[in-house]
Amino acid sequence: MALKLMKGCEAIAEAAIQAGCRYFFGYPITPQNDIPEYMSLRLPQVGGCFLQAESELAAINMVYGASGAGARVMTSSSSPGISLKQEGISTIAAAELPCVIVNMMRGGPGLGNIQASQGDYFQAVKGGGHGDYHPIVIAPSSIQETVNMMGKAFDLADDYRIPVIILADGLIGQMMEPVEMPNNPDPVKKDKPWAATGYVPGGKKQRAIINSLYIETEDLDVLHTRLSATYDRIQANEIMVETYNTEGAEFILCAYGTVARVCKAAVRICAEQGVKVGLVRPITLWPFPTEAVHNAVAQESVKGVLTVEVSDGQMYEDIRLAVNGCKPTEFMGKAGSAIPAAEDIAERIMNMRRA
Amino acid sequence: MKDYWVLVGSFGGGKSELSLNMAVRAAQKGPCMLVDMDVINPYFRTSERHELLEKAGVELVSPPYALQKIEIMSVSARVYAAFTPGEGTVIFDVGGDHVGAIALGQYKPNFQNIPPENLHVLYVVNPMRPLASDLPSARTMLEKIQGACRLRVTGIVNNGNLAGMTTAEHLVTGYELVRDLSRETGIPVWGTCGTEGTLKEFEAYAKANGLDEAYIGKRYPIEVMMHRSWDKYLSEGL
Repeated sequence: MALKLMKGCEAIAEAAIQAGCRYFFGYPITPQNDIPEYMSLRLPQVGGCFLQAESELAAINMVYGASGAGARVMTSSSSPGISLKQEGISTIAAAELPCVIVNMMRGGPGLGNIQASQGDYFQAVKGGGHGDYHPIVIAPSSIQETVNMMGKAFDLADDYRIPVIILADGLIGQMMEPVEMPNNPDPVKKDKPWAATGYVPGGKKQRAIINSLYIETEDLDVLHTRLSATYDRIQANEIMVETYNTEGAEFILCAYGTVARVCKAAVRICAEQGVKVGLVRPITLWPFPTEAVHNAVAQESVKGVLTVEVSDGQMYEDIRLAVNGCKPTEFMGKAGSAIPAAEDIAERIMNMRRA
Repeated sequence: MKDYWVLVGSFGGGKSELSLNMAVRAAQKGPCMLVDMDVINPYFRTSERHELLEKAGVELVSPPYALQKIEIMSVSARVYAAFTPGEGTVIFDVGGDHVGAIALGQYKPNFQNIPPENLHVLYVVNPMRPLASDLPSARTMLEKIQGACRLRVTGIVNNGNLAGMTTAEHLVTGYELVRDLSRETGIPVWGTCGTEGTLKEFEAYAKANGLDEAYIGKRYPIEVMMHRSWDKYLSEGL
């Protein structure tokens, strides 16, 4: 297949269409405007519907509606816009509806800036809305990986009836890389007997009800027991993680998204100085690859662990839980949009080595 | 009389890169003004290279507040200075697609006064970009851009590239597209762009395979100036 030079946002939108997404509801915000822009052009060409909603709240509730009717549907936004969508995401999780939500993270809090950031880890992974729920969170590190993940994201959403968040940073959205786009004229259609569509009074099919309100304690408990079982199955089966150069490494770097690529350059720099460093890159942030992190750092050769993020240390908490005190663990990173340089990461490793 | 170069094309086709190269080269010969007309996208615009341009002696006209953390997507009144009498070169780097070209339309009365031999409107084509990679889409885009900017394109530029992974093969793909586009529209091919190495490879291919000179045009070697700031972060893991 031929390579194309694509901007991350365009590639995400096209890959979603190739995965069978035919409905997109959104509201503009930088740095992800190229997704709705692309969707507005392409969806009508494939018989789909693009709609610019009057607000983020409206957009996420349109997603709820389309998903409830059985459609493959997506929305996208960037950090402040995703905050506005949280009530809807919680409701979608409660109603067990599949959808894909792209968050092209920018610097926060508040309006922050429009540069790349990783400050929304807690919001995405720990459930930014109210109540006990989890979305599946996927954090790609290149445009090609994002493209490859879009089909998987829609499938996971359908299979588990769960919202799936693509947690990318503004860099993924705005940079251009050569990508190979799947050509999928006939995407898989999942059977959705639960969808609220096609009810005919007096007909054979029962009325489907999509709901998130369970007044009685017992009724809400039934929902939570079911959700809990779903989350267990996801944790058992859907963890994705890349381990890179970890075997026999002296230090382990932990990072996700584009920062993990900076870390790979740091691994190379350290190797040039004769120090073996490995990288564990969680691809799913929830379910979190706790075991993979633990196994990598628990090796006898490992002297220390360094987590690198463009945040004030959010994934760092999950890394520390995974390390569970078995090795010295440090954090490197800053809130906002300051992306660390590979040389600085390598230097930090060398300092840890001297300590 | 000033010489006017207007660069239009689909988003991400390489207009800014070519503008920077043209401006730096023109400034070696005489006064040069580069007008950043991109009011569509706050990222990856010629204004980001203001230091490089200043050093090269290029007068840069940016949208007001560009790179000052607030983007109001407007054009500067200084654009009119481009149309005052004088000598030298004026380059317009127009925003992507027909949407970006709209902002240029308001200067039609000014462009009308420029003799045709001094006005070059170049349509930059990169077939490796989505939505502009085949003849129908490249032609539709060309027509939409002409309508939006209210200028006729006078030349087509083959800028086939895959960023850091560019080979002569991409210029060959570009050659085929600009050839067909030129045949269909009657607009001549102005030239072929690429780094020196890629152009050399392309040249050898063109000779060996008898590519038609008319659709190669001027060889315009470029240096990568619009360097992509993420490259320094992301040397690994493509």
